[in-house]
Amino acid sequence: MEELNRGGFTFDLCSRNTLLEKTGLKMPGFLKTGTTIVGVVYKDGVVLGADTRATEGPIVADKNCEKIHYIADNIYCCGAGTAADTEMTTALISSKLKLHKLSTGKEPRVVTALTMLKQMLFKYQGHVSAALILGGIDINGPSLHTIYPHGSTDQLPYVTMGSGSLAAMAVFEAKYKTDMTRDEAIQLVAEAISSGVFNDLGSGSNVDVTVIAKEGVTVLRNYLTPNERKFRGPEYIFPIGTTPVLSKLVAPLSSKVIIEDVVMS
Amino acid sequence: MSIMAYNGGACIVMTGKNCVAIASDLRFGIQQQTISNNFPKVYRINDKCFVGISGLVTDAQTLYQKIVFRHNLYKLREERDMSPSVVTNLIANMLYEKRFGPYFTEPLICGLEGPDNKPFISGMDLIGAMVATNDFLVVGTMTPAMYGVCETLYKPNMEKDELFETISQCMLSSLERDALSGWGAVVHIITPEEVVTKKLLGRQD
Amino acid sequence: MESPEWMNNAVDLGTSIMAVEFDGGVVMGADSRTTTGAYIANRVTNKITPIHEKIYCCRSGSAADTQAISDYVRYYLEMHTSELCDDPDVKTAASLFQLLCYSNKNNLMAGIIVAGWDKHQGGSVYNISLGGSMVKQPFAIGGSGSTYIYGYCDSKFKPNMTKDECVEFVQNSLALAMFRDGSSGGVIRLCIIDKNGVERRMIPGNKLPRFWEG
Repeated sequence: MEELNRGGFTFDLCSRNTLLEKTGLKMPGFLKTGTTIVGVVYKDGVVLGADTRATEGPIVADKNCEKIHYIADNIYCCGAGTAADTEMTTALISSKLKLHKLSTGKEPRVVTALTMLKQMLFKYQGHVSAALILGGIDINGPSLHTIYPHGSTDQLPYVTMGSGSLAAMAVFEAKYKTDMTRDEAIQLVAEAISSGVFNDLGSGSNVDVTVIAKEGVTVLRNYLTPNERKFRGPEYIFPIGTTPVLSKLVAPLSSKVIIEDVVMS
Repeated sequence: MSIMAYNGGACIVMTGKNCVAIASDLRFGIQQQTISNNFPKVYRINDKCFVGISGLVTDAQTLYQKIVFRHNLYKLREERDMSPSVVTNLIANMLYEKRFGPYFTEPLICGLEGPDNKPFISGMDLIGAMVATNDFLVVGTMTPAMYGVCETLYKPNMEKDELFETISQCMLSSLERDALSGWGAVVHIITPEEVVTKKLLGRQD
Repeated sequence: MESPEWMNNAVDLGTSIMAVEFDGGVVMGADSRTTTGAYIANRVTNKITPIHEKIYCCRSGSAADTQAISDYVRYYLEMHTSELCDDPDVKTAASLFQLLCYSNKNNLMAGIIVAGWDKHQGGSVYNISLGGSMVKQPFAIGGSGSTYIYGYCDSKFKPNMTKDECVEFVQNSLALAMFRDGSSGGVIRLCIIDKNGVERRMIPGNKLPRFWEG
């Protein structure tokens, strides 16, 4: 019997998969978050922003996904790259940080999360393709970092990542000021993400914003919805019985099945 | 040809008012050759949770067996069924464990969640990147056609009969243009009271 | 769909870095450009990384690799310091860098200049090149931009400069390298280390020396 909950990756299908690949079958692509993600440090906090499109090749697989992940009560993280990697990496570090908090009894720091993330990504040498923006507030005040898939990190007052990073950075380079107010920062982040949404094919749909301040976190999910579905013409109504049915089976629910003991005579 | 299209197959899940539906085609083939025309890709996990697995059938079956195994352990420990959201997380973690040597399967999960039977659907890619929506999800060959037809025909809060007609039309319409899937379809409508399974007539070519 | 540049290209420090001994200490300098392919991922990077109180290193090559190595050396040196009950030598730090760079040479892209001040040797500069060799030099230059300034540095360097002479030498050399090298640029960051401590300076991009322009 296989061992459960051992943790870590398994590679037992790798050799089979390479054999399959050698027969000429193409390997499928993964779900990607084409993505525009940004972050800005303002006077007394950090604002993170993200678009909400997930793509699988040219297909939009999710029109309203969440790319701003929870790490701790005072730390959040935007993810770009392979969707599974960003999701699982941030979830793993979130739980590791929670355990760390429970054992030390102290508020987690942004650099602790940063070090955990960069060490994990470096270990996998870029194969775990998660490009992250880590923002948070701790005893050292607000801080903002980028983490690249290979495990390198930067600290900056304003950052962008993902395929829409160039469009978003253009907005930042033009309009960023030091010591912005909360509202100014939210406005700037929303503008940078919108720039990605409208100019980058990998990004789209809505704008998510998360504000991390000393007073607490404000999650502004779907802060802007500039691409709501406009047209859904007269409804298509299929009268009951339109579809030809060959057979119909009504399975009794197991909760409604009465099991009786029959005494053998 | 992609490994995901080696055996063919298509799957749709859709939400309605207090109900969810899951549909799959019935073909099982090896590239262009059809092996079976009665091969549903939908698996029952429990009364309120069904899983549809498209992709490479050998992996789909292995994955299904592993899900059932974990579900049975869960039932022994907890004396209750897994809710669809738990099943989703379970499968996502099972798939991500094989991040660098994945199963070539894309699962869809649907069911009714919690004591008030809230409709729940979710899906993921082959390495467990979850997609959660509240309307519909599709996987398999011909996803472009399925997305298009679902975007047009879906409307929120359908009653179970209406939901059946809609998901059936979506499935049958997209099968019209899919060489690797077809030979009819099977639809399950899951309501708090009952699970209705219907087999649909489709093209036989 | 083609995956974007930042997914495939490792973050690269296409760099100009240098460190020079002077009478009583060292001056370290670096540009501030980090690139992923043709995109400047960070225009104000700090490539002069503290390893200990008076030991710093200039990083070139892969950002991920050099950051990871620096983190390891900083950790090892801290452990060593607590056993030694004294500040470590620059040579010790350089040897640790060499150990990591040499034993993992097949997996790393790292060219590092270690410099600092210790009570045995005063200011000293060690160059750890790509293959993991360690050479003590009166001055060291590194990174892609360094190729443009070998001749300049050889002709202008003189031993036992004053601090100000040395700072000017580093500034001028780096400005020349950054001017010619496409993957170097931004600001000049300086780090002056002597027995009294560390002084950090920054010369903004619009105040760089341009003495060669007639």
